[in-house]
Amino acid sequence: MTFLTPAFFLGLGAIAIPILIHLIQREKKRVVEFPSLMFVRRIPYQSVRRRRIRHWFLLFLRAAAIALIVFAFARPFLHQSAVAAAAGGAARDVVVLLDQSASMGYGDHFEKAKDAARRVVRGLGADDRATLVLFAKNAEENMRATSDRARLEGAINAAKVTAGATRYGPALKLADSILGRSPLKRREAVLISDFQKTGWTGSEDARFPEGMTLTTMPVGSANARNLAVPSVTFGRSAFSGQERIAVTAGLSNKGDEAVGNVPVSLTVDGHELETLRATVAPHASSSVTFAPFTLSGPNVRGMVRAGTDPLPADNTFHFVLTPSEPVSLLVVDSGAPDASLYISKALAIGTTPQFQVEVTSAGRVAPAAFDKRAVVVLNDAMFPPAAAGGVLKRFVERGGGLLIVAGDHTTFPTGSTADGDLLPGKLGTTIDRTDGRAGSLGFLDYSHQVFELFKAPRSGDFSAAHFFRYRSVEPAPADRVLARYDDGAVAAAERKVGMGRVIVWTSTLDDSLSDIGVKPVFLPLVHQLVRYLAHYEQPTSWLTVGQVLDVAARTKGRTDRIVVTPSGERVAPQNSRGLVELAEQGIYEIRSAGATTGRPESVASNLDPVESDLTPLDPRELVAAVTGHATPETAEPAMAEQMTQEEIEKRQGLWWYLLLTGMALLAVETTIANRLSRREKFL
Amino acid sequence: MQTSQTMPGARFVDPKILSRISSLELMARTVVEGFINGLHRAPYFGASIDFAEHRGYVAGDDIRRVDWRLFARTDRFYVKQYEADTNTNLSILFDVSKSMSFSSRGIPKIEYASFVAACLGYLAQRQRDRVGIVTFDSDIVTHVPSSAKHFNVVLHTLDRAKAERPGNLTAPLNKMAEHFKRRGILVLISDFYEEPDAVLEAIKPLKFLGNDLIVFHVLDPAEIEFGYDDASSFEDLESGDQIPVVPQSLAQEYRQLIRAHIDALTAKFSEHRIDYTLLNTAEPLDRALFSYLSSRERLMRVR
Repeated sequence: MTFLTPAFFLGLGAIAIPILIHLIQREKKRVVEFPSLMFVRRIPYQSVRRRRIRHWFLLFLRAAAIALIVFAFARPFLHQSAVAAAAGGAARDVVVLLDQSASMGYGDHFEKAKDAARRVVRGLGADDRATLVLFAKNAEENMRATSDRARLEGAINAAKVTAGATRYGPALKLADSILGRSPLKRREAVLISDFQKTGWTGSEDARFPEGMTLTTMPVGSANARNLAVPSVTFGRSAFSGQERIAVTAGLSNKGDEAVGNVPVSLTVDGHELETLRATVAPHASSSVTFAPFTLSGPNVRGMVRAGTDPLPADNTFHFVLTPSEPVSLLVVDSGAPDASLYISKALAIGTTPQFQVEVTSAGRVAPAAFDKRAVVVLNDAMFPPAAAGGVLKRFVERGGGLLIVAGDHTTFPTGSTADGDLLPGKLGTTIDRTDGRAGSLGFLDYSHQVFELFKAPRSGDFSAAHFFRYRSVEPAPADRVLARYDDGAVAAAERKVGMGRVIVWTSTLDDSLSDIGVKPVFLPLVHQLVRYLAHYEQPTSWLTVGQVLDVAARTKGRTDRIVVTPSGERVAPQNSRGLVELAEQGIYEIRSAGATTGRPESVASNLDPVESDLTPLDPRELVAAVTGHATPETAEPAMAEQMTQEEIEKRQGLWWYLLLTGMALLAVETTIANRLSRREKFL
Repeated sequence: MQTSQTMPGARFVDPKILSRISSLELMARTVVEGFINGLHRAPYFGASIDFAEHRGYVAGDDIRRVDWRLFARTDRFYVKQYEADTNTNLSILFDVSKSMSFSSRGIPKIEYASFVAACLGYLAQRQRDRVGIVTFDSDIVTHVPSSAKHFNVVLHTLDRAKAERPGNLTAPLNKMAEHFKRRGILVLISDFYEEPDAVLEAIKPLKFLGNDLIVFHVLDPAEIEFGYDDASSFEDLESGDQIPVVPQSLAQEYRQLIRAHIDALTAKFSEHRIDYTLLNTAEPLDRALFSYLSSRERLMRVR
């Protein structure tokens, strides 16, 4: 219980008045003249009797009446929910949604949020119950519906800011689910957050049914300033057989004020290599590039730190670098001069990855030449004799890639041989389109990984390429057609054999049967084909919190690996697939269970860049979207409490009842006192 | 017997109503006439010159009392003897001490006592008695000698009587004892706030002369019942002393004490053949008149 005007408690001193009247005032009330005190004097005078309070009940009534009146003037009120429970008579089910995303680490936002949550809990009535849901990107039912305020407060006290991004959708859906199961009539969700605009897209399918209310308690600050390092890029270059990395850090200023001369430092393997100064205009981005450093080995840990501000989490960006490994190719051609010129030149350009190309003729290929190759390209060549007898098939089945560029010289074993089922389909005759208009690509399967890169508009014009002759292929039903010519003939088809992939390209990749070799799409097409066939995945220098770390893939299926989180906690992959969700910012290590030495494989985990954008969302917008109707505005937290107090007090009007009760007590006291007086002729 | 201008039953009229009659004489006449009417053939109303008996003449007798007719028949001198002389002195000894001014709800004690005195005076005057009054507190305040013509003076004195000073019985009564040479009826009206022994000692000298003494003890109902409600400071009217009193706690004891006081006075006056009458100012006046007439009858039979 709280009082609006506690100064009125000084009036409690008035309780002494009835006592004083009892003890002092009454005996001096009047003087009675009497003819003679001759007989009165003979009677022993009992002064104690007068000073003794005989009617304690009357005194209690008087004191209670005064106390009630004083209480009434002090304007008492109960906390909102307790009163609501008392007044409404119905128990409530409250779900407290407490935002613990990384942005709540800004200044004292999270402490404010916890205070707000505690106020909600303390305001619960005896029959009310509450559920604590902590949420960031995902929502978790931290404390199931309970009336135990101590446990709820304990859970709130134990809550911490996480590195997760803000997503209101899952939290609101979980609240809907919890309240939907509730048998209580009054259901209420209280959302305590900094209301980042990025956390609510408006397309979330979170909608409360009629009868559920959503109360918002914003704790964000107006005009928040925040400098963040949302990303880094790496410029790789070779020097003396080693790889040199030039780190470029992006800086983003989300505040209304420019950030000037802020130090930006690069730390690699615990050593600060360089510190630069940067200035970033308000609501703008900038970048700094550090001097290149030599990448000495795998799993080199780096960190960029930029300045300090109330949200320090996003001022740091972690990354892990590993020297890139080239993709090894064996190009088998017919042996004619420059038969593989276009392919080899195209593959010489790449850096991510680098391609290590060996060109040979079909007749000179040794079986050992397929070892340690990622991809074999049969470039308009006959089937290599050394590959016969299942050598090439085993290569593919182990995970190798085979690109068959079908030209006039191409031959392939038929289906009855060991390698006969490698070719996606049946290779047919050559179709000549030199007469009239040359053929062009009429269909591309953009959903395939090879062509996905070209999906976006102006991302590669395959229609400019002309195909004069091409081999016909009849793919089997299980084969996947990746591209077709304008006449419907198959231009590219894929077959998966074992762990490997085989793609047939029915025309040449030079200027002999088509002019695609001189078209802009040639280079990226060749790169995409080789990357896909080599199972190449660009090594990521960092992941984002909330992503899943595929431990099994990184450890080649070994199961005795554990993951050490940035906070030092050891986590074993929780399922057979060896997946660990990244929940912290920093460097995760993947260690062998028993190993204590050696450089562990590392994975950097960074905040979701959108978490740095503290632009607030109008809570009313969210409430309207969730509940379907507008709600009273939500004020600033500090003001909110004050307003709430006054509003609550006004709504309750307890003083009125206290005053009436006090007056009623006085009336009762008067009645009783009169009766006693009449009966005893003494009071 | 006069019956005109009387108010039948007036003797039972509440003293508070009587107090509205401004004239004491009118009041006294109203009360007394009503009182006498109610008596009918009152045995106390004897003749003043009634014949009693004859006795033989002895030297020194007044020859005017010789019954000459009997001398003619018997040739002896006989003297006629009559009942005693009916004219007597009524002296009212009126206490005007401060305590007599007390009044709880009705009329003050001194006013009630004035009514009694006036009624007695009127009655005496009607009987051709001589009426006088002495007012006193701690000393004699006024003295009106007994006379057949002093009734109006007595009324006037009563009218002017103010209870203003502390009272005392011994000193003034001793003075009066020296003064009353001729026996008569003495009516003492007081509230007797003294010890019974002291009261009796003060009164005794009055009895030595053969006076017939009638004592009226005038008390207010509050003095008898002590029916007070609130705890208050009680102030002695005569001394001015104040005592905080919780009536509920001592009322019972007070009533016992005042009753004992009255009983003691009754016993002691009775021992000395003094008529004692307790007068409650809330009651009518007839008891006082009865007491007076009883005494007068006794006096008439004395020869």
